[in-house]
Amino acid sequence: MSSFIKKMHRRTIVQALIALPALSLFRALPHPSASSSDRPDADPHEIVEVSGWILKRSDLA
Amino acid sequence: MIFDNYEAFRAANFIAKVCILGSGPAGTTVARKLGAAGIPVVVLEAGSREFSDESQDFYRGTTVGDFYFDLDITRLRYMGGSSNHWAGWCRVLDKLDFEPKAWAPDTGWPISRADIEPYLPEVHDILELPGFRPDVPISDDIRWIQLIKSPAVRFAEKFADELDKSRNIAVVLNTYATELTGDGKKVTGARLWSNGQDAGLFSADYFIVCTGGLENSRLLLWSNQRSNGGVVPNAAALGRYWMEHPTFEGGNAILADYGEFEVDAVNEAFFSPSLAAMERLQIMNFGIRLIEMPYAGIKRVIADLACTAPDMAEWAAYQLSQNLRCAAQLYVAWEQAPLASNQIVLSKTDVDHAGVPRIELHWKKSELERRTLREGLKLFGTTLAQKDLGRVRIADWITDSGDFPTDEETAGHHHMGGTRMGTDVTRSVVDANCKVHGMDNLYVGGSSVFCTSGECNPTTTITALACRLGEHLSKVVAA
Ligand SMILES: Cc1cc2nc3c(=O)[nH]c(=O)nc-3n(C[C@H](O)[C@H](O)[C@H](O)COP(=O)(O)OP(=O)(O)OC[C@H]3O[C@@H](n4cnc5c(N)ncnc54)[C@H](O)[C@@H]3O)c2cc1C
Repeated sequence: MSSFIKKMHRRTIVQALIALPALSLFRALPHPSASSSDRPDADPHEIVEVSGWILKRSDLA
Repeated sequence: MIFDNYEAFRAANFIAKVCILGSGPAGTTVARKLGAAGIPVVVLEAGSREFSDESQDFYRGTTVGDFYFDLDITRLRYMGGSSNHWAGWCRVLDKLDFEPKAWAPDTGWPISRADIEPYLPEVHDILELPGFRPDVPISDDIRWIQLIKSPAVRFAEKFADELDKSRNIAVVLNTYATELTGDGKKVTGARLWSNGQDAGLFSADYFIVCTGGLENSRLLLWSNQRSNGGVVPNAAALGRYWMEHPTFEGGNAILADYGEFEVDAVNEAFFSPSLAAMERLQIMNFGIRLIEMPYAGIKRVIADLACTAPDMAEWAAYQLSQNLRCAAQLYVAWEQAPLASNQIVLSKTDVDHAGVPRIELHWKKSELERRTLREGLKLFGTTLAQKDLGRVRIADWITDSGDFPTDEETAGHHHMGGTRMGTDVTRSVVDANCKVHGMDNLYVGGSSVFCTSGECNPTTTITALACRLGEHLSKVVAA
């Protein structure tokens, strides 16, 4: 595990940490304004606030 | 010359033109400027060379409103004042801090940052500061700023020798100025308390009150009450517009690259808003202190995990036998909206050993400040996310509009306002030269003259203003 993580680019790890759907934070999380995120044209760079986190919509994909 | 008590000073027959009350950073700096200009000056200091419980007791008081530190804990009453335990964080108020903000009443100074800039080289010598690097905008909204952790100069220690050898400066210890007397045009004397008793009136041509950001108001309120308005003839704002820098842990952050922002020796980096962002969001200034935990490799990853999934991180840290915290904590200190209702008043029931009423501090954080805290963290989080520099999590008590925690830093021990600078005599106490409105020979030094507090620690600006006041008075006295 640790050598795998070391090899990964840090940014990727952070993205993985934030997006990991199994994490307690994001589990059972209603997508922020679910209707708009379902839209095919929803902006992945849009800033959304979820449980205190200031995220990009793409973090939740 | 340093005298251990008023009696020894009297015996020396030193004739002072200027009398400074208080030997903290403000009083010491003004005295050194006047002394260097050849003007005989006496510094009356209530405390002695060392800390004592007896002296601290004069500083006791009460607070009404929000939770605040005990008033005898948040400052020191002996030679050198609170510089004996300040932490040494330094930065000068920004240009934008001096400007009026249309969305926040009673903001704006009658001077600009350019008025104190000529004194900054001296301030750097006094506080032993390296040069500041320019701010780095990381977006249109957020600046990466620098606060310098200086050696925290103890003014008494650093300057005792120089003061002792000076022919122009007499520092008189254990001499408490309980009251100024005045006739509405001039201060006529300072009533002194020495050796546990009244020591009579001391007179000089000019008086400068440098007794600290709480005590300046107390002394002037009491003096004015006793002299029926003879010391501060325009007293509507006296004691009012008092400010602190409330400080709380506001959340945490995961950074994409922990090398992105160079941290200082204590692993901290600082961020503030641009004026445009403050204006757009109609908020006050704030400073976000990002504290990195010095973890590397897998420990850092687990610490990051601690921000998002504390349970999982705890399990992983357990596997490593480590006690890890989230990799970056965010503390927020902010500028308070100047409010006349935040004020120092004299207690009606409690006096100190010399009979001077103690302070009753009325202090409450406002809705505008709560918005500043929340919007400020959101702004910082938005910038980090948009630039892919990291992600911010705002603490639950802020998103849930909960009470302010009482187990945290609370504030900076920065006592500002009470004798604020201005041109409108109903909303200020001193003019742009720190002279009390309507009085010919009474000046005030220290952060009680601040109109607004900005987001940074006050002592660098206090020292710059003291250099400016010293230079101004040297010219006035010589004229
Ligand atoms: C724990 C702590 C940490 C701090 N950290 C920082 C920091 O990191 N950065 C920063 O910028 N600031 C910091 N500060 C604030 C800083 O200490 C003050 O801004 C600074 O000391 C104010 O200087 P002053 O000369 O105006 O007042 P003071 O330092 O309060 O000095 C006033 C002097 O007047 C004397 N006095 C009082 N009443 C009378 C009287 N009636 N007659 C005669 N003498 C009197 C007192 O004994 C004292 O010596 C900190 C303060 C504390 C308490």
